[in-house]
Amino acid sequence: MKLAWIVFIKELTDALRDRRTLLMVVLSSVAIGPVILVALSALIAGMEQRAEAREVYAVGMAQAPTLRNYLERQGYSIKEAPADHELQLVSRRFGDPVLLIPKDFERDLAQGTMPVVEVVSASANQRAQGSVGRITQLLQGFNREQAGLRLAFRGVAPSLLQPVQIEERDLADPRARAAQLTGMLPFFVLMAVLYGALNAALDTTAGERERGSLEPLLMNPAPRAALVLGKWGAVASVGMLIAVLSSLSFLPAQWLLRSETLAAMFQYGMREAMLFLALLLPLAAALSALLMAVAIRCKTFKEAQANSTVVILAVSMLPVTTLFNQEGEKPWHLWTPALAQITLMGRVLKGEAMGAADLLPPLLVAAVVTLLCVAFVARQLRRAAVR
Amino acid sequence: MIEVQDLSKHFAQGRGRKARVVQAVQGLSFRAENGAITGLLGPNGAGKTTTLRMIAALIAPDAGRIHVDGVDVIAQPALALSRMGVLSDARGLYPRLTARENIVYYGRLQGMTAEAAHTRADALADMLEMKPLLERRTDGFSQGERMKTALARALVHDPSHIILDEPTNGLDVLATRALRESLRRLRDEQGKCIVFSTHIMQEVERLCDQVVVVAQGRTVAEGTVPQLLERTGHTDFEACFVSLAFGDTASRSVGGAAS
Repeated sequence: MKLAWIVFIKELTDALRDRRTLLMVVLSSVAIGPVILVALSALIAGMEQRAEAREVYAVGMAQAPTLRNYLERQGYSIKEAPADHELQLVSRRFGDPVLLIPKDFERDLAQGTMPVVEVVSASANQRAQGSVGRITQLLQGFNREQAGLRLAFRGVAPSLLQPVQIEERDLADPRARAAQLTGMLPFFVLMAVLYGALNAALDTTAGERERGSLEPLLMNPAPRAALVLGKWGAVASVGMLIAVLSSLSFLPAQWLLRSETLAAMFQYGMREAMLFLALLLPLAAALSALLMAVAIRCKTFKEAQANSTVVILAVSMLPVTTLFNQEGEKPWHLWTPALAQITLMGRVLKGEAMGAADLLPPLLVAAVVTLLCVAFVARQLRRAAVR
Repeated sequence: MIEVQDLSKHFAQGRGRKARVVQAVQGLSFRAENGAITGLLGPNGAGKTTTLRMIAALIAPDAGRIHVDGVDVIAQPALALSRMGVLSDARGLYPRLTARENIVYYGRLQGMTAEAAHTRADALADMLEMKPLLERRTDGFSQGERMKTALARALVHDPSHIILDEPTNGLDVLATRALRESLRRLRDEQGKCIVFSTHIMQEVERLCDQVVVVAQGRTVAEGTVPQLLERTGHTDFEACFVSLAFGDTASRSVGGAAS
């Protein structure tokens, strides 16, 4: 055990001295989650701002005093759309849909011949497209009011046209709603851990072979198990370090949230960070062992990189299954490494209750994977040294 | 003292139809005394590296016995390894560690305390004249500097037996001389048992007390340089080696080509 500790200290020093690689990992994977969160909040803040601005851009509103009256009663201010709005919408310089009012709007409305009001937008223009629903609903409201007035004028109860009153009741709590937006965050955290462990795992196995330092290492009387345990411990520590950094990075990132609604919905405190860590630390240990097991068979660092792509691909593709899967969470999800962590981290973000029974399967799987892979590396070590 | 008896090892190469068996070592025997330098001289592919790897317990022999100071290497590899300092064919260092850290790491793996390992690293740096290198990271070391660091690493636990696989490979004249001098001092001052493999005649002539000529995995001849010269009737050691390793026909054709 003492020997394993010596190997551990040496490998950890070695890995931490690889400053440039470490810096790249920290910058690219640890920072990306918070950056995306902040970008997301800026986007939502922009959308909220436009919704709050309550502006409607129109051409020919002067010909429709009734509509104007309705819109203004709803608290909207009406603005004249620029003359070349079509061009601007297509080239995404203009971010609001435009209402086109026909010349005879008022007359047609009075005669009941259904004037056509166009809502002009470009579906490739996401900013404008985001507001189309809002404008359409506004116009529907106008329709309903007009219809109601006409029926009342003829002495008919409006309930004839609308036999059922519909009211929506949203059961999702604000955090669950936010999780639709923040659902991708666990994925980034997971990839950060994977990339954090990757370099160290490859360096202590395939890198050691390529340098020609594995053979002399095995000519020490230290048992192979001690060597492998020390190496694995160091790689797992680097992975865990990245896990801690990326889990904690969301705490300060919250302060940067520009959208107040998102800030209110995205509740990430110490409790959530701790739950993230409880999920990520065992996974970091298992992924480290797995990457080492893949790399020990490779003669060079480059070959190991190519081979570890399979692991990276598997880990990054598993969460995608939850996207395609419309049937919701299945029991086997919790027994699949990476997928289990993504699922449970998602639940943490949604603020759903989670018991030990949910945490146990991924922990168990991680322990088994670690054990198998470490044993495999120990078995392969001597053969790898001489080949 | 290192005793090797009837050592054999084969490797299977390739798969399926292309598979073939390579007999790397077959029935090799020799004996290396304490306080002497024994040279394992043989052409490329004679099985020198494989033999040294078996002595260092890195690969298990198919047959034969290896004893280091009476310790059976196959039965008690850890005990045997603690008595051997091995400089193998692969002598990679950790580029992000300093020379001292490289040396001390191996000392710790040999069971030394940190303090003892550091003291020993200083002593070895003195002996190998590499004091200025000690605190530098090994990244960017020259071949000679690497060699010295690797040798110091192999000797950190002050082993009574030193095994070197082609130690002068890639070294220039000065570095080779320095190494030769170090080996002589280890033999004369500390009475070590030194075994090294080489295919360079000069090395053997200048350094070895005892020569083991190896060809095609077998011991072809054993003795001092004068003894071997006498046995073959040559005055030139190169010609002597060629006739021992490849037989007399090859020796004559090489001699003919030279004259």
